[in-house]
Amino acid sequence: MSPAAPQPIRAPGEQLVILVGAYGSGKTEVAVNLAIRWARAGLRVKLADLDLVNPYFRSREQQRVMEGHGVHVVVPPGKLAGADLPIVLPEVVGLLQPEPDTISLLDVGGDEVGARVLGSFRPNLHEGAYELWQVVNGSRPFTANPAGCHAIRAELEAASRLRVTGLVGNTHLIDETEVETVLGGWRLVEQVAKESGLPVRAVGIRNELAADPALAEITAPVLELDRRMLPPWIPGQSDGHGGCNRDRKPAPRPIGVPPRLRAQDSRGEVDGVHPD
Amino acid sequence: MTKVLMKGNEALGEAAIRAGCVHFFGYPITPQTEVPEYLVKRLPEVGGVFVQAESEIASINMIYGAAGTGVKCLTSSSSPGISLMAEGLSYIAACELPCVLINIMRAGPGLGGILPAQSDYHQATRGHGHGDYQLIVLAPASVQEAVDLMMLAFDLSERYRNPVMVCADGMIGQMMEPVEFPTEGAGEPMAENEWALTGCEGRERRIVNSLYLSPEDLNEHNKKLKAKYDLIAEKETRHEVYGEHEGADILVVAFGTMARIVKSAIDDLQSEGVKVALFRPITLKPWPYKAGRATMDALAPDAPVLTVEMSMGQMIDDVRLCADGSRRHEFLGEAGGVVPSPEEVAAKIKSLL
Repeated sequence: MSPAAPQPIRAPGEQLVILVGAYGSGKTEVAVNLAIRWARAGLRVKLADLDLVNPYFRSREQQRVMEGHGVHVVVPPGKLAGADLPIVLPEVVGLLQPEPDTISLLDVGGDEVGARVLGSFRPNLHEGAYELWQVVNGSRPFTANPAGCHAIRAELEAASRLRVTGLVGNTHLIDETEVETVLGGWRLVEQVAKESGLPVRAVGIRNELAADPALAEITAPVLELDRRMLPPWIPGQSDGHGGCNRDRKPAPRPIGVPPRLRAQDSRGEVDGVHPD
Repeated sequence: MTKVLMKGNEALGEAAIRAGCVHFFGYPITPQTEVPEYLVKRLPEVGGVFVQAESEIASINMIYGAAGTGVKCLTSSSSPGISLMAEGLSYIAACELPCVLINIMRAGPGLGGILPAQSDYHQATRGHGHGDYQLIVLAPASVQEAVDLMMLAFDLSERYRNPVMVCADGMIGQMMEPVEFPTEGAGEPMAENEWALTGCEGRERRIVNSLYLSPEDLNEHNKKLKAKYDLIAEKETRHEVYGEHEGADILVVAFGTMARIVKSAIDDLQSEGVKVALFRPITLKPWPYKAGRATMDALAPDAPVLTVEMSMGQMIDDVRLCADGSRRHEFLGEAGGVVPSPEEVAAKIKSLL
């Protein structure tokens, strides 16, 4: 199954992609963007929010947006979605079984603490039957160099009792990301790939930078990222905001978006999918 | 220096180390747990001490002991945990010991919820333990400001021999932003002083104690503390004014995350020609009354003052004290982890014009 996207990001031969990584590496942003990208390419996509360690900024905050794109989102029901309880739904086990024309994505919490939950699924996961991608952000304190990335990978593998099978470069500084930031991150993940023998499955780049000619040296598939996990002072989005206002209706009278935010917020595709 | 991407809680932990604090005592609670999680990794690298105490009551009393020996020390918690620290904090303030505590506020009262709130404002600024004591309370509105204020917190605590609280809502603790640290490596330990219990061999014995059997002595002690708090109020207020306040038709007062939301609303309203400004206290204690009053006095004659909080209205008491009857007051607030949106703030501002 290869997703029919402009530059295919492949989960070769397999349909279960598990995202792990150091704390704050951007797994959730990558997971939500991948899910929507694959869904828009016509695939059936299921995403399970398995983040048991973060209280805010989890993929469940984008549930309505993802569902608007046809993604099936597996999260604890109702009020329990906002609890800081380690809830694992039995439905997640179903996602581990291959289904035709379906990609299942597991968004796992950060560090070895977050990855430990995967260990309980070990009996359902066979070598070669899953893709386990390590998301790498070189702007984070403990993964700024290859040694740090290898150390985290060893911890993730020990906690999950699974093998990492690929890398996703995701080096950024949110609004302060520059072409140099992305290039530095690419060189880092390339080096990690060289030293570990792992393939780079994708490089996440904010959509406004993705077309920059200076990034031509990036040979891995590019995942253009729409910033979706937003703090509450960025207006105009009914979902997200770190989990605040979870069950609230969007404001009745939306006002314009300030110019400095417009670049990242006027992409249009989210518009029209607010279910209410 | 290159910027790194950090969660507010992690950045607070790193900033403490850069400020020279290598002693942490604390207990986990959402949404501040990344502070101890970060420090348990980092402190061994700089030869520091990390103790996960059995409770918040134990944590604050470990701080009492550590501070008494003249080391820079830190504890961190969230609202219900801070409540448990009330007694110990009163003892620390009474003994004039420097220390820093972090409150990453969550929604209350009671067990409440884990989402962000600003409803510990009264607790922080009105001395939540017993007796006549005051904290210095610093309220960051970004991860970078959390770093800067953390470093300032250790300076102020040492200079005034007083506990300092960095008081942020859960959003500041949980969100990620690029940050820059002004210094490399662990900072300097506390300077030599005349009060720390360091072993009395070869010198007069020192005593750290808050028990006064003579009412006159205790009265004198309270007067001495009051003089210190007055000095702090005179010298240590900090604030920010955003937007053009001269002749503005309305002033909004907000702090922390709420102030950033108000800024987004102001950016939008200004493009529509609305004359609106924000007054943001950075020190919640001492509250910047003088600057606040000067800002209010420069508004259009009948301009109202709108206080916006992630609570049912606590800082509005200080805004009223600041205005001292000179302005009409309005309030917008939500609680429980519900946060007023920029759109709602803008709508409220427009409804008052």
